[in-house]
Amino acid sequence: MEWPTARLEVLNEEPLVVKNPKTWYHIHSYGGWGRFFKGLRQKIIMATRCTNPTCGEKRLWLPPRSECPDCWHPMEWFEAPQVGTIFTHSVVTYPGELFKLPPGTPLISVEIEGVCTKLMSWLKEGQPLFGMKVKAVFNTEKPTNTILDLAWVPA
Amino acid sequence: MIKFGKGNLRIPKWERPVYIVAGGLTDFRKKYPEKNSCQLVTEALRMAVEENQLKVDPEQIRRMVNWCVYSQFADHFGDQLLAAAKVHDYLGFDPLGNIEVKTGGATGGSSVLAAAQAIASGYASLVPVVGWERMDEVSTKVGNSYIASAACKDFESELGWMYAAYYALMAKRYQYENNVPHESLAKIAVKNHLYAHYSPFSQNPGKYTIDDILKNEVVSDPLTFLECCVMSVGAAVLFLADEETAHQLTDQPILLKAICGGSHTLRTADRRNMPILLLPNETEATYHHFLEGRRHEWPGFSSFLAARMAAYLAYHMAGIQDPVKDFDILETHDAFTISDIQTYEDIGLRPYGRGREFIDSGEAYYEGKLPTNLSGGLIGTMHAVGATGIFQIVELLWQLQGKYDQFHGDPKMWTRYGKTKPADWKSLQVKKARRACAISHAGTGSHVTCAILEKP
Repeated sequence: MEWPTARLEVLNEEPLVVKNPKTWYHIHSYGGWGRFFKGLRQKIIMATRCTNPTCGEKRLWLPPRSECPDCWHPMEWFEAPQVGTIFTHSVVTYPGELFKLPPGTPLISVEIEGVCTKLMSWLKEGQPLFGMKVKAVFNTEKPTNTILDLAWVPA
Repeated sequence: MIKFGKGNLRIPKWERPVYIVAGGLTDFRKKYPEKNSCQLVTEALRMAVEENQLKVDPEQIRRMVNWCVYSQFADHFGDQLLAAAKVHDYLGFDPLGNIEVKTGGATGGSSVLAAAQAIASGYASLVPVVGWERMDEVSTKVGNSYIASAACKDFESELGWMYAAYYALMAKRYQYENNVPHESLAKIAVKNHLYAHYSPFSQNPGKYTIDDILKNEVVSDPLTFLECCVMSVGAAVLFLADEETAHQLTDQPILLKAICGGSHTLRTADRRNMPILLLPNETEATYHHFLEGRRHEWPGFSSFLAARMAAYLAYHMAGIQDPVKDFDILETHDAFTISDIQTYEDIGLRPYGRGREFIDSGEAYYEGKLPTNLSGGLIGTMHAVGATGIFQIVELLWQLQGKYDQFHGDPKMWTRYGKTKPADWKSLQVKKARRACAISHAGTGSHVTCAILEKP
């Protein structure tokens, strides 16, 4: 048998430090939440609502959940409004690896009427302000197939 | 869950008392290629058994151990799944049973909780809790991305790949709701970098002014680098024991009166409004004006229900009436200056909306009413995540035992880590410290534990 040809690059001799490359990917299923991401391609925001008549939470959940955390009942899909207000915001100067947005992009949290949660997203145009009215825009040209395909602009 | 049933708020109890007998640390560094993780945990364990004035020799202690708990945050960082098995083997504890605990940033606190449960139930009589993290195998940028994998990967991580950004969103909202000047946040950073200056274990000590903090480079608006925790390599070890074993091992055992956990949604944005869960030092009247006047929602983006829940249970379990009065020393999980202010409120040092008063009043400083993070905390000394919650309790143990100077003031402790004891070193030993509290915290508040230590 031959010795393997692949080798680890030595970065330092004392202590001995080697470089261990990783080049594979993960195959990730959105599972029961796929409808939300497919909805973005059609310029709609799909949310879920618990239809169990005895459950106290009647509002929409966004991000969607397949089952209601309050009663464990399966939820149903409904379209969420495409307007909201900015609840909070920040610009990340030093993002981590894998960040796909342009530098200086404002990150925002959006409050939407009738939704019991808030939605983390980004502001595609303008400067964010607390309580600013925003409307949804969608990346349908070259979708990333991530949450980044939904963004907001001043309404 | 936004409605509590009676069972949800049951106060935990130990079947028998739980003691802390010894602690050990390594120093903490951004990069530590000189030692692998197995060496680091062994070093911390040796400090615990050799330098805590135990009455039994290390070899005998090994023979008294009957269960082990391991604490490591992310397999991503160490690039070694089932790392606990390797560490357990290198520490020579095979074939004893063990578990590895993972609850993000609160992994250390949760590990101590798991060990305490083993002691309190009678399952075990002597348990080492061993924590470490090796965060130097990847670049800081990749490290931040790994940490952001502990946000919701489907709906959140892509928005920043950076935990500081998720805290910055909270900071902005908190400042908007409560009109907190950035200077108040900066004071926490100044204090913790300074206390780290007196610790030989610290990674990021510094004597800064408020201005230095404010003018430092911004990571995610409004948080600057000096307001954020360090990314560390290092280890921490604690030994927990039942009463009989504790007295066999040491003349200075410290009681772990309580350690309790709470949780909340991984995504900050999923936190629905609910009535404030009141602590023993609060009543409905505490929040009458607050709720009616300015604030329509709790916990919103500004409060950690997980911390409130953990404190609620632990305070009731340990009989705490007023934390500022009842505690002599506190260690918080100061991952970011903003989270520290938020935590002051969650654990009842001040009512919600008034957290800044705790730092502005001077109470949080050495020789203040409740000195906080004399260890240097996560901002000044370390955040080797799996070790962090354990490190906090090691520091508190030494404080309650009156051993701050032994571990921080001996020039040999400094030379051990290739450092020189600063000429202006001063002792941060809290005189007559009797009761201490430690908060271990994960995510944007996904898991929090609250530990209460007491000198018998």
